Amino acid sequence: MKNLLIKEIRLASSPLSYIFLAAAFMTMLPGYPILMGAFFICFGIFHSFQNSREANDTLYTVLLPVKKGDFVRVKFAFTCIIQLLGFVICAALTVVRMTALSAAKPYTGNALMNATPVFLAFVLLIYSAFNILFLGGFFKTAYKIGMPFLSFGIAVLIIVAVAESLPHIPALSFLRSPSGERLEIQCAALAVAAVFYCVSTAVSCKKAQNRFEKIDL
Amino acid sequence: MPVLEVENLRKQYPKFLLDNISFSLDEGRIMGLIGRNGAGKTTTLKSIFNLVHPDGGEVRIFGLNMPADESEIKQRIGYAGGAVDYYKHKKLRDICAVTSAFYKNWDDSAYRKYLDAFSLDEDKTPLELSEGMRVKFSLTLALSHHAGLLILDEPTSGLDPVSRSELLDTFLFLKEKGVSILFSTHITTDIEKCADDITYIASGRLIASEPMTDFMRKNSDSGNGNSLEDIMVHYEKESLYEKLAD
Repeated sequence: MKNLLIKEIRLASSPLSYIFLAAAFMTMLPGYPILMGAFFICFGIFHSFQNSREANDTLYTVLLPVKKGDFVRVKFAFTCIIQLLGFVICAALTVVRMTALSAAKPYTGNALMNATPVFLAFVLLIYSAFNILFLGGFFKTAYKIGMPFLSFGIAVLIIVAVAESLPHIPALSFLRSPSGERLEIQCAALAVAAVFYCVSTAVSCKKAQNRFEKIDL
Repeated sequence: MPVLEVENLRKQYPKFLLDNISFSLDEGRIMGLIGRNGAGKTTTLKSIFNLVHPDGGEVRIFGLNMPADESEIKQRIGYAGGAVDYYKHKKLRDICAVTSAFYKNWDDSAYRKYLDAFSLDEDKTPLELSEGMRVKFSLTLALSHHAGLLILDEPTSGLDPVSRSELLDTFLFLKEKGVSILFSTHITTDIEKCADDITYIASGRLIASEPMTDFMRKNSDSGNGNSLEDIMVHYEKESLYEKLAD
């Protein structure tokens, strides 16, 4: 797996996957739907899949002395690494916003979602949608990337709309608090999202391996 | 001892059937897999390599079963599907650096030797190489981990006559070192120049799989022709007549 990851980084990936990690810094933007940062991180990963397809990476990899299913596992591993790097940046910036900048004017008067543990939970939901819809869809053919990405894009719109709407329900207004009110509930939501991310990614990977095994290359 | 055994290989596509193909290749021999375009040569080779899923049949390589022992088998064989058409914007040096890490028997001195023999420049990208040079790079990668069996899909297509001759000489050199080679082609002179055995597929069916000398003698005696080209034309024309008559 280590050699396959090196192959992924040196030959198959697009530089845009790394450049788009900078979208995690959108976490700091006031008056902006900051969840879109997670979408752009996934968009960067999408470019690696496009790059990999144009470079005939699939055929090259399955001819190496590895199992056919390892090709799927390394694609999921690469995706998760980029996603988690993005998540670490988002989490660090969320801590900064909730502590040192909790009283900063642009955030206290922010009409949109603030950086909170629930925001991080939604980031993980967007990642999960990518792993289920885009990766799962891609490995039906190991070639077509358009429709899987479109379905992921639609899912992101729905997730962002729900996430931005929830704090406007009076009982859930604490979700928008820049200093992190009712932190225990927010952290519990983050923990549930983390479990969902792990389970959905593992299930999607297994299903993708089974699908990929059946494809004639 | 056979290094490759293919038994009753079968693959059904909506408009094509590869029908119970069986053959075996012994150590240190060269087998030409011949047939016209669309006869099923590539499907056969890809099925051997588990790139397409056969609907039936068995493939054993070095006595190991494909796909159960896939990783181990791939350590010991080399596959080149014609010219390298992957990572066209990456330098050959980078492609090699990544590829070599996967093989236990990777031999860097052998790699350098083949690079030199084929006049390949490591600082070029596949995009900057001609079709022929890309075939040679593909072969260089396959040869540098001391594969005991090379499976090559139309390796001589796109090569100029001198490069083709050089490549066939390379096959003969490797054969002397005990390497077995299975290569597909529709260029009959390539087979005549270096193959010990021939497997002939027409419209997905096995016409023959036997030593080259036996194949030539039998067909000559039957009046099918004295050269491989004549024999091939004889079989293929016959099937066309059958189709037209139906």
